[in-house]
Amino acid sequence: MSHNAILCHSALDKRNRDAGYWHSLTMAETQRRDEIPPGTLYMLILKMLARHGQLHGYEIANAIQEVSDEVLQVEEGSLYPALQRMLLKGWVTAEWGVTAGNRRARYYRLTAAGRKQLQTEVDQYQRVNDAIHKILQTI
Amino acid sequence: MTWISELWRHLRYRLSGARFDADLAEEMRLHMDLRAADRQAKGAAADTAHEDARRQFGNFTQFQEKSREAWGWTRLDSWGQDIRYGLRTLAANPGFAATAVLSLALGIGANTAIFSILNAMLLRSLPVEDPQRLVQVRPGAEGDDEFTNPIWEELRDRQQLFSGMLAYAPDHFDLADGGESRNAAGLWVSGDFFRVLGVPAIQGRVFTRDEDRRGTAPLAVISYRFWKRNFDGDVSAVGRTVRLNRHTFEIVGVTPPWFRGLDTDGGFDVAIPIACEPIFHPGHSSLDERSAWWLRILGRMPAGESLAQARDRILAIAPEIFRATVPRDFPTEMQQNYLQNSFFLKPAATGFSEMGAQYRTALYTLMAIVGVVLLIACANIANLLLARAAARQREFSVRMAVGAGRARVMRQLMTESLLLSIFGTAAGLLLASWSSRLLIHRLSTTRHPLDIDLTLDPRVLAFTIGAALVTAVLFGLAPALRATRVELNQVMKENTRTVLRASGRFNLSKALVAGQVALSLVLLVAAGLFLGTLRNLWAVDPGFTRHNILIITADTEQAAIPVGQRTGTYGEILDRLRALPGVGAAASSALTPISPEGWAQMVRPEGFASKSPGDTLLFLNRVSPGYFATLQTPILLGRDFNDHDGLNAAKAIMVNESAARQFFGAADPIGRTIGMDKDDVFQIVGVVRDTKYNRINEEDRRIGYLAAGQDSDPRPSIRFTLRSETPVETLIPAARAAIAGVNRGISLEFRNLETQVRESLLQPRTVALLSSVFGSLALLLAMVGLYGITSYAVTRRKGEIAIRMALGAPRESVVWLMLRDVAVLLAIGMAAGLAVSLAAGRLVASLLFGVRPRDPVQLVGAAVILAMATAVAAYVPARRAARLDPMAALREE
Repeated sequence: MSHNAILCHSALDKRNRDAGYWHSLTMAETQRRDEIPPGTLYMLILKMLARHGQLHGYEIANAIQEVSDEVLQVEEGSLYPALQRMLLKGWVTAEWGVTAGNRRARYYRLTAAGRKQLQTEVDQYQRVNDAIHKILQTI
Repeated sequence: MTWISELWRHLRYRLSGARFDADLAEEMRLHMDLRAADRQAKGAAADTAHEDARRQFGNFTQFQEKSREAWGWTRLDSWGQDIRYGLRTLAANPGFAATAVLSLALGIGANTAIFSILNAMLLRSLPVEDPQRLVQVRPGAEGDDEFTNPIWEELRDRQQLFSGMLAYAPDHFDLADGGESRNAAGLWVSGDFFRVLGVPAIQGRVFTRDEDRRGTAPLAVISYRFWKRNFDGDVSAVGRTVRLNRHTFEIVGVTPPWFRGLDTDGGFDVAIPIACEPIFHPGHSSLDERSAWWLRILGRMPAGESLAQARDRILAIAPEIFRATVPRDFPTEMQQNYLQNSFFLKPAATGFSEMGAQYRTALYTLMAIVGVVLLIACANIANLLLARAAARQREFSVRMAVGAGRARVMRQLMTESLLLSIFGTAAGLLLASWSSRLLIHRLSTTRHPLDIDLTLDPRVLAFTIGAALVTAVLFGLAPALRATRVELNQVMKENTRTVLRASGRFNLSKALVAGQVALSLVLLVAAGLFLGTLRNLWAVDPGFTRHNILIITADTEQAAIPVGQRTGTYGEILDRLRALPGVGAAASSALTPISPEGWAQMVRPEGFASKSPGDTLLFLNRVSPGYFATLQTPILLGRDFNDHDGLNAAKAIMVNESAARQFFGAADPIGRTIGMDKDDVFQIVGVVRDTKYNRINEEDRRIGYLAAGQDSDPRPSIRFTLRSETPVETLIPAARAAIAGVNRGISLEFRNLETQVRESLLQPRTVALLSSVFGSLALLLAMVGLYGITSYAVTRRKGEIAIRMALGAPRESVVWLMLRDVAVLLAIGMAAGLAVSLAAGRLVASLLFGVRPRDPVQLVGAAVILAMATAVAAYVPARRAARLDPMAALREE
């Protein structure tokens, strides 16, 4: 699929403004892109929201991508259903607002239950990770 | 508790409805636009940026769906879709929907009606405490089930048998004080009756054990319906009195509305203790009578005990109980006979239903008949659905092409079938409640009024819902499977007509119609057999006339007539009755024909050697002179009784032909003697024609008649038979006045013999009527099915017919072409139907009279009717084929 092959930097990265140079660069290299491990998507979204307060859908996807140094990218097909699910479960609330570019966007924000859920998932993830780490450490 | 808040959020989401979709779309559009802007910022061209963004985004619609799914309940949503779509489809085809719903309503309604009656009479447990633990103690597995009071008292005093025992007997008590009786349904009950059954009183109290001792005060417990009817639900009814057979009883309590006694047919009005019996019959009470068998006994098994254990216990004490209660005045061999008696235990959870026992076979037969009618209706609907599925081919193939699985489309079709089924069942329930009440009303007779509680109980409801589901699957599954088994390419082509080449030698619709024909034949044969039975029963010569005969039952028990004066009183009444204007003849007797009572004794005919037990049993009646003339029973030999046959004359007896023939062969019976009881000897003075005793359809039995004038111990009740020139109802007031003139206190009941005979034939009449109705219904449905399939075949084969006619085939041959298929179907169906009829005939043999189940006349007759009806049904559409204009038809293709 095409979206795996094309890199996309976030708008906040102002390092490479040269269009031509950039274009050839992006066409040439295909950075390793990994899928988001199953079951961690909610955790990542919640964490981003915890970090930034309120974000709309695109901003969440971008934030995850940027902070992970382009390793993880959220597919739109999983992002929006996941957000709906979190709305149902009451971990986030949504509110219509206006973006910087004067467009209407729905902003998501964590709830107290969401914070709790984030903590639970992070703890669980840490535990599993430590266990795997221990196994990998053995000779 | 989080699920509550989740539910709340979900509901709010639902309420927002379409706005949700619009919001989500806007959100995702923004996402794409921002991405495109990003790319542009990095130097991509404007249009490619948008395209790339879109491509990267993915399948828009699918994300929307997935998001919606995230909220859950999508299955419910799709069901809702199915139901709405199904309703729209049905509304677009009102004719089809109406036909289907109507057939289902008739079929399911009939099934539910018969089942609810079956349930009420035979299947439903008594509404008492733990009915499964109740068993009845009987003298034998079948036949009479009553015991004498001495036996009951012996059993009752043995506590270790059951955790509770009760005895009861149904009876009726006269509420009036003389003149015409007003009977209340009564119950003789033992003291523990209500306690063992777990029936409390809603007003006052019920009996205690001590109140069932000799010499007890006259107390009564009344039923709810009696309380409502006679005391208007007045709270102060407890403590008031009620007059039963001219004696006063004090009411101590009222039972709840759900308790209607142990006889499920009629309910009860008043219950009085068994120990009060001497009040009604002072001087000859039945309490110590060792040969009066009148009480039913039930016991409650202790928890954890099985029937076998209880049976062992009771069998162990049987010999000593019968030894203690043997009637002293019996001759030795009869005493020996008595000591052979034993006990038999039978579960009694469903109570007693005389009507149920009588109608058991008939009810099951009717159940089978309406089941068959329902099957035929389902076959019709299935055929209709098949035809419609053929017409909807494009719709299904389009849906399957855009991604609906076969299962999804099938689910849609089954939902439509289920909707039809639900509407049909709802209408059927209404029909059932009305028709079952009507049927019970018809089955209720003056002698045996029925008061059955027909409210919907869980078992009937489960049956109805089960029937609805089964019919939906039966008629919906095959068409659904057929409709979705489609090759997409073929259907999308222009000519949709030739696609469903499902015709051919054998296909589903033809099989269904053949099945309908077979089942209709079975029902027609059944109807014919029952109608034949009824005709035979009507034609039976009962040995007496039933027209314009009035029977008056006079009870002098409470009229305070001394025993010695009874005969005189009866004689006086008879004279007065004979003198009434309009009365052609009158007589008195102990029993009248076609009634449930009987009197029989072992006798010793002169010179007769008994070869088997029971061949010296003689049924008896005691009659006045003129009895046979009144009933117009011919006297074949000898003479009738006359006034010389009094107490001082030689004892005389008259016998019927069967008795004469069986006791004395071809010899002349006049003058021979018959011995009875200890040492009574009767001389035969006359022989009469055979008459029916209890039932119209009974075999001829030996009957002997004793003279009323020679009765040394006349009973307190007697019957008067009047024959009149005018309709008997006109005689009633005059007769009442005449008897009141002799003694005002005599209780009277009036009955018309013709009505009595007709009511005794109620079961065969009802079965014949219902089977004819359902048989005709089945035939009609089969005709409709055949019409439909032939009509459809004509439409489908229009092209072929047009070509044939264009090539010169005469019109008749085209019609024959169409009918040939039908003829084959008919032949197969009839063969199958005949086979089933022959096999199943055995099952209904007990309901038949005078016709054999395999009567060839019946079978051929039914087959002919079926053939004619189906020929008509098929000919009408076939004729359409003949009137086709070949050029027009071909142009259409």
